[in-house]
Order: sequence, then structure tokens, then C-alpha cells
Amino acid sequence: MFKNNFKIAFRNLKRNKLYSFINISGLAMGIAAFLLILEYVSFEKSVNGFHKNISSIYRLLNENTKGQTWPQVEPGWAQKAKESFAEIKDYCRFEEGVGQGIVQRSDKKDATFREVNMGYAEGNFFQFFSFNVLKGNAAEFKKPNVVFLSEAGAKKYFANENPVGKSLVLFNQFGKATYSVEGVFSIPANSDIRYDLVFSLETLKNPANLNDNGWARLDNLSSQYINTYFLLSDGADYKKTEQKLISLRNELKKDKDGIVFRLQPFANVHLPASFSDNYQTTGNLKYVYILGIIALLILAIAWFNYINLSTANSLKRASEVGVRKVVGATQQSLVFQFLGESLLVNCIGFVMALVLVQLIQPLFNDIIGKELSLRSLINNPVWIMGLGLLLLGSLVSGAYTAFSLSNFKPVETLKGKLNKSAKGATLRKSLVVFQFSISIALLLATALIYRQLNYMQNQNLGVNTEQLVIIRGPEVGRDSTYSQRRTAFWNDITQQSFIKDYSLSGTIPGNGYNFATSGFTQPGSKKGDELKSYSFAIIDSRYLNTYQIPLKAGRNFTEAETGVEWNDNSKVMLNEKAIEELGFASAEDALRTKIQWDERQLEVIGVVKNYHHTSLQRAIDPIIFYPQNNSAYFSLRLSTNKLQNSIAKLETIYKRYFTDNPFEYYFADENFNRQYITEQQYSRLFTTASIWAIIIACLGLFGLATYTVETRTKEIGVRKVLGASVFTITQLLSKDFLKLVCIAIVIASPIAWYVRT
Amino acid sequence: MIKITGLEKYYRTEEVETIALNKLTIDVKEGEFVAVMGPSGCGKSTLLNILGLLDDPDGGSFVFNGIEVAGFNERKRADLRKKNIGFVFQSFNLIDELTVFENVELPLIYNNVKATDRKKRVEEVLDNLKIMHRRNHYPQQLSGGQQQRVAVARAVVNNPKLILADEPTGNLDSSNGNEVMQLLTELNEKGTTIVMVTHSEHDARYSHRIIRMLDGHAVTENILI
Ligand SMILES: Nc1ncnc2c1ncn2[C@@H]1O[C@H](COP(=O)(O)OP(=O)(O)OP(=O)(O)O)[C@@H](O)[C@H]1O
Ligand SMILES: [Mg+2]
Repeated sequence: MFKNNFKIAFRNLKRNKLYSFINISGLAMGIAAFLLILEYVSFEKSVNGFHKNISSIYRLLNENTKGQTWPQVEPGWAQKAKESFAEIKDYCRFEEGVGQGIVQRSDKKDATFREVNMGYAEGNFFQFFSFNVLKGNAAEFKKPNVVFLSEAGAKKYFANENPVGKSLVLFNQFGKATYSVEGVFSIPANSDIRYDLVFSLETLKNPANLNDNGWARLDNLSSQYINTYFLLSDGADYKKTEQKLISLRNELKKDKDGIVFRLQPFANVHLPASFSDNYQTTGNLKYVYILGIIALLILAIAWFNYINLSTANSLKRASEVGVRKVVGATQQSLVFQFLGESLLVNCIGFVMALVLVQLIQPLFNDIIGKELSLRSLINNPVWIMGLGLLLLGSLVSGAYTAFSLSNFKPVETLKGKLNKSAKGATLRKSLVVFQFSISIALLLATALIYRQLNYMQNQNLGVNTEQLVIIRGPEVGRDSTYSQRRTAFWNDITQQSFIKDYSLSGTIPGNGYNFATSGFTQPGSKKGDELKSYSFAIIDSRYLNTYQIPLKAGRNFTEAETGVEWNDNSKVMLNEKAIEELGFASAEDALRTKIQWDERQLEVIGVVKNYHHTSLQRAIDPIIFYPQNNSAYFSLRLSTNKLQNSIAKLETIYKRYFTDNPFEYYFADENFNRQYITEQQYSRLFTTASIWAIIIACLGLFGLATYTVETRTKEIGVRKVLGASVFTITQLLSKDFLKLVCIAIVIASPIAWYVRT
Repeated sequence: MIKITGLEKYYRTEEVETIALNKLTIDVKEGEFVAVMGPSGCGKSTLLNILGLLDDPDGGSFVFNGIEVAGFNERKRADLRKKNIGFVFQSFNLIDELTVFENVELPLIYNNVKATDRKKRVEEVLDNLKIMHRRNHYPQQLSGGQQQRVAVARAVVNNPKLILADEPTGNLDSSNGNEVMQLLTELNEKGTTIVMVTHSEHDARYSHRIIRMLDGHAVTENILI
């Protein structure tokens, strides 16, 4: 029986080549899209899951009065908390920002790189977290001046040599220090912690190694710069611990800043447990859900094709059903036959989908910026769910077809009296409308996302980032001759005819702020105003000119003012938003009044017009501009012609004064738009997905159309004989389908609108 | 073997109700060869479908082999049908995707006959009907006469007690038609009961008895032997 059924199923596929092609390729495309998105979803769900103690680990967060959270906390809390609360078994601190600098092989100067994926971490880092130490001994990391490298980091500096026992020199704000390489570890792709080099935090415990950066002391309770993770004992109620931590903070923190501690389960650091959980995460649950839904919709479109085409084709199968019933087939045996057929088609579709996935995987990876493969599915339970879903879908779509086909009365089918057009036509039409509604809604939603993205990228930021080249300031060779060399460098640079403007600053638009802090008041402040947070941007006297940011009132910094020591300076500029936050009635009002920053008094010498220092998705922050000759960023506005020549010239000059520093440059506008990289990736992904959905739906529509033409050949023939032109016939045939697509558009537009808002 | 009394069948469409069978009463004995004749639309096919348990009567009684079958459910009818009845249609009704062999084999499959026995039986029947050499062909590769012979082969492969034939020669030329009639006669001689609908007086003469129908009931019966 089975053999016979499969035989006939195969022969049917072979005979109706067009139907089979449309059916199978539609299914293959649908399943392929589903698998790719499943890869992504299961990857997102698996992030950080490899840490053995993940269920007992919690991340310490700060939460301000506006409900915003961030993981950079003061380094002193960890030890105090462990001493005070028995359920805190251990802690691990690591930082991902303040330590960044330039790393150099001590024995080979050409291996010098500016590092971003680096930081200092606690000595127990390799016991606390579950990274495999491939070479060396994890215990060595507890010592000062030790560095461990990821496989990529090891390759970068030591190629195929064994790095253990070699040494690296790190140049950063903590000065120049030599570190001995004592280990190589691996980082799984699904890890949020992504170090290429991790330096022992133990080094910074010695205040002598801080290069006068007292703010960074590891026991301090005032500078928020380090991530802190706690390991709680089994069965501990972390919400209770959280309350204890809040009390501890209130008790020990002298200047009140309105911030409370939160504990976030490590398992929720990448994706929150639910949408109501608004703690900062590294992933985006909303996108994961949207993509999951898109995957299901695409799959549904493919299955609707299957239902549509096979029920449309049922006229051809009807007489077979009749004959089989006449010679003794029961409805049950026919249901099994057609279910078998649908499983067969789905299986072929599945196999083709696997091939298709292999083919488009690189493209997909390129779009989402990840290295995914089908293999990443196998290690995840999501995969079983996906497979179950596939099976269920093929059964349901097959079952519908099977029951509708096996229901034919032999008497009717054998006489050819089957009512040709009516059977299932309404269902087919509704499915087509549904398919196109989905596809068009997806497409419209994508178009809206695109428009918004476009708007963000082309919106006037209030700052001119075009033709601006950014060079990272030097870290190597910051000795007694440094400031002299820097002056010489700028003298040389300003001689160049292609330089129109230049500036030195601690931050640039698109790269965030130097830090944020509270404690600002003015005589008219209300109680609680001191809890408001302000962002600091360290700039020189040329920053506003270079970035073409207008002043609203007052004056800019002078060159002399940018040279004043940090603690001796009493002059700042504020943006309009900061004026507003401080409660000043007008800019002039602010210029007349001294403001208080804890114990210090500051004079507002200028008010800067609001501009977007960060992404347009964020409201403009209150900014305090602080004058310093900080050389983290060199911004240079170049004249438009011969850009490459100008940059080559810049490099020569840079290398002349700052030997051994890598010369790295980028354009300020591109850098600013990098903030939208996730949105860009998702909008590309959504576009691809909706085009994919439309192709599948069109494939099905094409199948239905050829079917209609086939069943109406006789009618068409008669009409032609009677004098109908090809045009009128085409019109006649396409009218029905156009009507359906129009209905779909009408349905889809409000859906798309709703989805976007 | 067949005893029909007061059989009724209506077809209801939106506006009109057609009476296809109107209090029809007929008897067919075991081993008989009966021809049913009458003008188009008088209910011949409807009768045959009810006899073949493909359709349900709306009234009256139908006793098949001593069992009242009017009111049997679909499953019971299918069971009775596949064990006792073979069909031959005017338009052959072979399955295009199956070969001659496979078409003939189908009833045996649904009767759960073992594969080795099936092969033996199918080959025997194909041999008898002289289409063995065509066993691996598909229906479209055969002439009309050959196709109808395959259909007859399929109808008899199961050794049914009753063969129902609805205008079996309707689509055939006279020589092919005669051949099929010859086949049916031979089957009847071996003991199979046959009820055949036909428009041809010539074909009807192969039977023992002609039932003439008009507007859903039998009007006359001609006994030929
Ligand atoms: N499915 C149906 N729906 C409605 N009316 C039907 C249906 N089948 C048959 N009829 C009607 O029932 C009557 C008998 O039909 P039937 O097919 O039995 O005639 P017939 O004697 O076989 O005719 P022919 O010699 O043309 O084959 C006819 O009037 C026909 O129109
Ligand atoms: Mg008829």
C-alpha cells in the first residue's frame, strides 16, 4: 500500500512539473527562511548560556530616578557587599572602557594595535565565568601584571608562536606597563563578554600603577566605571539581597545622587525575561520576537501555497479518488495517501531548504553581522521546537488537502459532474488575500522603517560632521616631551593648506560623553534637583568652530582657559537643555548666576545651542562642556579635493611626532551613523524577509493563475472564436487576481501602520 | 441476488427536485446477465450506482445477497463493495499515473491480498484478457479497446459476484465493442452476475433479459432466453 502510494505521489510530482516546482520551491524558500531565522533566534536565546553558574550569578546595576539603568558601578561596592552579606559567595569585577589603549609586543614594535576589545578583570575571572583556558594556568591571572589572550588576540600578536611567557606593553591612561602573557582562552560566539585581551585587575590594586588617576582606585565609591557580578548561594532570594544592597549604598554614600542598586539575573543580561523588564540588556527582545513572527508568517505563506495548489489541482485528482473508492478504498486510506504525499512534498522541500540555507547563509550572516550556521541550531532546544513546528505544519496543511480530496463522492467525480469552480475557491481566494496582506504589510512596515532610518541619517543634527576626519590621539610615548611634540605636531598640521579647521577633545559626536554626574545646583534650585544627572564633554577652544555648533549666548572658551588644570578650572559652557534642567529662566540668566557642583563653584561663560551629540533616537542630554587640552580625539576638517593625498600627508606628520602609535582615522559622519548599525541590519533583514515572502506568495499566485488558464482553456477558445482579443482575455483572467491583491492592499495598510506604532 | 422494491432517489438542487428513481422494483438472480435500457436521463446510471453501493437510496428496500443494505453507512458499503462488486465504466476510469499492472492490482491491494498472490492473480487475469504484453504501459499509451479490457480486468481481478457495467462499449468502435461484450459473456458463463446499462440494442442481445426504464421506473421486461 505504502509503496503504491509513494509511487503515485512521485509520478504525480513528475507529471505536474510546474505545480511540483512551485509547491516544492515555495516550501523550500519558506522553510529556508524559517531555518535561518530560527538560527538567529536560537543564537540570541543561547547567549551567555554556557556559563556553568549562570543561574546563581547576578549583575549589579545602577538605576536613576528616571528608571534608566546601567551596569557601570563604583568598584568599591563588591568587597563591601561580600563582607556584609553571607549569601554573596563571591564577586567578579571587570571593566570594558577606561583601560583601553595601545598594546605593543615588547620584542617587536610592528605588532602595535589600538585595542577596543580589552579591559581589566578580577583575578577569579576564569573561575567565576566559564571560558576555557586553552594554554597556561587560570590561577596565574590572580597576579598583577598578567594578561590572558583570546585565540584571536594570540594570533594577532604572536601568529603561530606560543604566547605564554612572552610579554605585552600596554599604553593607556594608567601609563605604560608591561604584562606577562600567562594564558590563552577561547570565547564562544554566544558570549556577551568579548575580550581579545584581558589584563589582571590586580595590577590596579596598587595605587602606584594608577598614574595619578585617583578616581579609579578599586576601593572607591564615587567613580562608576566597572561591571560587578555577584555569585549568590543556592536558594538565596536575590530580591532580598537587592534591598540590602540599596540600604548599604544609602548608608555609605555621602553625596546623595538618587541612584538605587538593582540585581539583574545574568540569564537576563542579554534578553530580558519579558517586555516589562526594562533593565539594560545587550540584546533586543523586540527584534527577536518580530523576526520569529516573520519566520512563522513566511512559513504560513508557503503552506498556503501548498493548500491552494493542491486543492486547485484536486479536479485532476478527483477521478483518481473516485476510482480508488470504487475499487474499495476507504476515506481513511485515502487520507493516509494524501497525508503521505504532503509529507513527501514537505520532506523534499525540507531537503531543498537545507541546500538553500547553505547557499544563502553567507549573505544572511553578512546582513546580521554574525557567524551563524545550521550547526548552531543543533546545540539548542529551539531546534526541536522548530522541527516539531515544521512537522505539525506539514501535517495540518496536508490534512486539509487530504480531507478535502478524500471527501469526493465517487458518483460525482466519475461522472465528471464535480462542480468545477466552486469547490474550495472561496478558501483559496481568502488564503491568497491573506498571503498578500502579510507580504504587503511586511513590505510597508519595512518601507516605514527605512524612512525613519533615512530621516535619522539625514536629519539636521545641529552639528556639521561632513568632511571631518577623526584621528585617535597617541598613547605611546606620553613622556615629558609629549606636550612639546603635540604642539609641534599642531604647528605642522596647521601649515597644511588642506586643513580648514581642527580641534582636540575628549569625546566627539557619536561617541558618547566623557562621563555623567550629578550634584549641580543654582541658587534657585529646588530640593531634589541635585539628583539630576549631567553629561560631560571635554573640549578645547576650537571644538565649536570645527563642528560648526553655534553659541546661543555668552562666549566660547579661550585657548588659555583650555590649558588650566582640571581642578583649578571654574569656567564651563552649558547646552540649552542643561540650562533648562538647572531651572534657569533664560540663557542670560545662567550667564549671570554661578552654579554649584558639590563644593565647587562654576561660572557659565557660554550657552551652546542644542545639538545631537548621540543618536537621534535619544532625547538631547543636558551637557556640561569642560575646557581641557584632552587628546583622545583629533578632529580635522579637510578641504574636499584630494582626500587620499591629504590623509597620507596627515599620517606622515602623525608618525613623525608620535612614533609607534598606530595611525587610525575615520570620518565623523560615518562614525556617527554607526550608532544606527543595528537598525540598519534589522531593516535590511526585514526588507529581505518581506521580499522573500512576496516572492513565495507570487509563486503561488502564478501557480493558481496557470491553473485557472488551464481549466478555462475551453472557455478561452470559445471566446476567441467569438472574436475576443488577446487583451480582453488577459484582462478577463487577471481581473480576479488583481481584485484579490487589491483587497490585500486594503487590509495590509492599516496593519502595517499599526505594527509600526 | 438483488431484490429491489419501491426504490426512490431524488436529486435536490436549489430550485428543482429531480426524481431520478421512482418506486423502482426489480429482481436480479444469481448468474443472470441483465441489460438496462431507456432514454437518456431515465435513471439508469443512478440505479447502477445504488446497486454498486456507491450511492444511497432515498427510499425503498435493497436486499443484496439476502441482506438489507439500504441505510448502510459509508464504511460498511465500502467493505461490501470491495469484496463483491466490480465496475466497468463507459470512460474506462483508469488511473493515469499507474501502469496497466498497477491499475489491475489496485482492488487486491485494498482487499489486503499479499504481494506474491497479487502478482500471480493479476498476471493470470491479464493473460486471460490478452493484454499481458502491455502490463508496464500507462493507460494513455493504449487504444480505447485495450483500455476497456484493462478496466474489465480490474473489475474481475477480485473474483466479484456481481459486475456492473455502465455503457461499457459507449466509447468504442463496433469491433472493440464486440470484443468487450464477448468478455462479459464469458465471465457470465463462468457464473458472474452482470448488470449492464446500454443504449445499443445489439449489445443488449448478449444479455438474458432487458429491463426497459422510463422516468425512473421499469416499464417492460424482455426475456431473451
Ligand atoms: N448529481 C445529480 N444532481 C442532480 N441531478 C442529477 C444528478 N445525477 C443525476 N441527476 C438527474 O437524475 C436523472 C437520472 O440521471 P441518470 O444519470 O441516472 O440518467 P441516465 O439514465 O444514466 O442517463 P444517460 O443515458 O444519459 O446516461 C436525470 O434527470 C439527471 O439529470
Ligand atoms: Mg448514464
